[in-house]
Amino acid sequence: MLVERIAGGDAEALGDLYDRYGRVAFGMLYRMLPGPEAAEEVAQDAFHAVWRRASSYRPERGAVRTWLLAICRNAAIDWRRTRGKRSEREVSIDTAADLIADGRVDERVVDALREERVRKAVSELPAEQRDVLSLAFWGGYSQTEIAARTNTPLGTVKSRVRLGMTKLRERFVDER
Amino acid sequence: MSIDRTRHPLEDLPAYALGALEEAERAFVEAHLETCDECARELAQFEEALYEAAAVGAARADPPRDLRARIVLRHRGTRARRESDWGGARARAWLARPVPLALPLALAVFLVVSFVAVGTARREADAYARALAGVADGRVVALAAQKDAPPDARGALVIPRSGDPYVVLELSSPPTGKAWEAWVIKGQHPTAAGVSGSGGLFTIVLSAPVGAGDVVAVTLEPAAGSRAPTSDPILAGGT
Repeated sequence: MLVERIAGGDAEALGDLYDRYGRVAFGMLYRMLPGPEAAEEVAQDAFHAVWRRASSYRPERGAVRTWLLAICRNAAIDWRRTRGKRSEREVSIDTAADLIADGRVDERVVDALREERVRKAVSELPAEQRDVLSLAFWGGYSQTEIAARTNTPLGTVKSRVRLGMTKLRERFVDER
Repeated sequence: MSIDRTRHPLEDLPAYALGALEEAERAFVEAHLETCDECARELAQFEEALYEAAAVGAARADPPRDLRARIVLRHRGTRARRESDWGGARARAWLARPVPLALPLALAVFLVVSFVAVGTARREADAYARALAGVADGRVVALAAQKDAPPDARGALVIPRSGDPYVVLELSSPPTGKAWEAWVIKGQHPTAAGVSGSGGLFTIVLSAPVGAGDVVAVTLEPAAGSRAPTSDPILAGGT
């Protein structure tokens, strides 16, 4: 309904979408990008992309939050490739160390029960799989770049990505 | 070389969800996803799991207070509408509303132009005019440029029927170490109401309530904001 309203040209519905998911989207972009200014810029780009693409959203292909966050992720990737300076990109490898943070999560983003489930699922992944997922998602590194930086054969990186993501998916699918 | 969209790139979907494919691989998967619901559903499962983890891994960071308003403002009135939505009766009703005393002629002309010039001309109107013309459920009061205002400085106070009031500003970027600060002035007493280091078209959501007879002003202040104005107003308008 919300996305339909956006597709119909209702800017307030875009505000409603922001109310629901803006905080998690901003927090994700904040960690993916070098600073709050970049996160703010990309968040605006992402919501503009939502506005333009709302009519092509298909609920059978995934939930609204997933669709929005994927748009945010793509906008962040585009920012890194087109506007981010190399030096800014280099910073992110340090902050990409962990797939999930140690500190408590804002309960306005994820409730405590859900957070515990996620922490458990992630902690059950082998460390080498967690690392490649984290470097790729938060650090913005491609599989090829991860292989080069960690002196690991590309095939090994690819299989860690596949295995890690498959286990993550199984954990969450099983939880439903 | 044409892309074979019939090959299901199942092995690449996890890396695609992560954003870890090389450009050519990413392009191939995207092209395939356009036509393959099966792979799109598969991808959605990876993405849902990934974003569950990402929500927990996301930084605990507060977005800027006016980010929502800026996102909404940018899109109000930007979608092409049917002629009847903008035609005579609606425009006349809008124009028949009581116009705040502080609304200068220039803004009134802007609004008239915005409503009369439907269609192409409307889409070509500048972003500032579009932002104000898109305020459908609130009151707009122009802020008059003062003697020290930068050339082309424009601003308006928007008092929505629900939600916080905000100012829509079009100003050059402040000098290094400085920011634009909004004030709500009751009688002779100014209250700091928000700071922005932005330039161009931007908004500041006012953190102080605006009542009848109050004046809203914008000054140039140190980047962290001031407790009381340290310079003359750039823009000001009364409610």
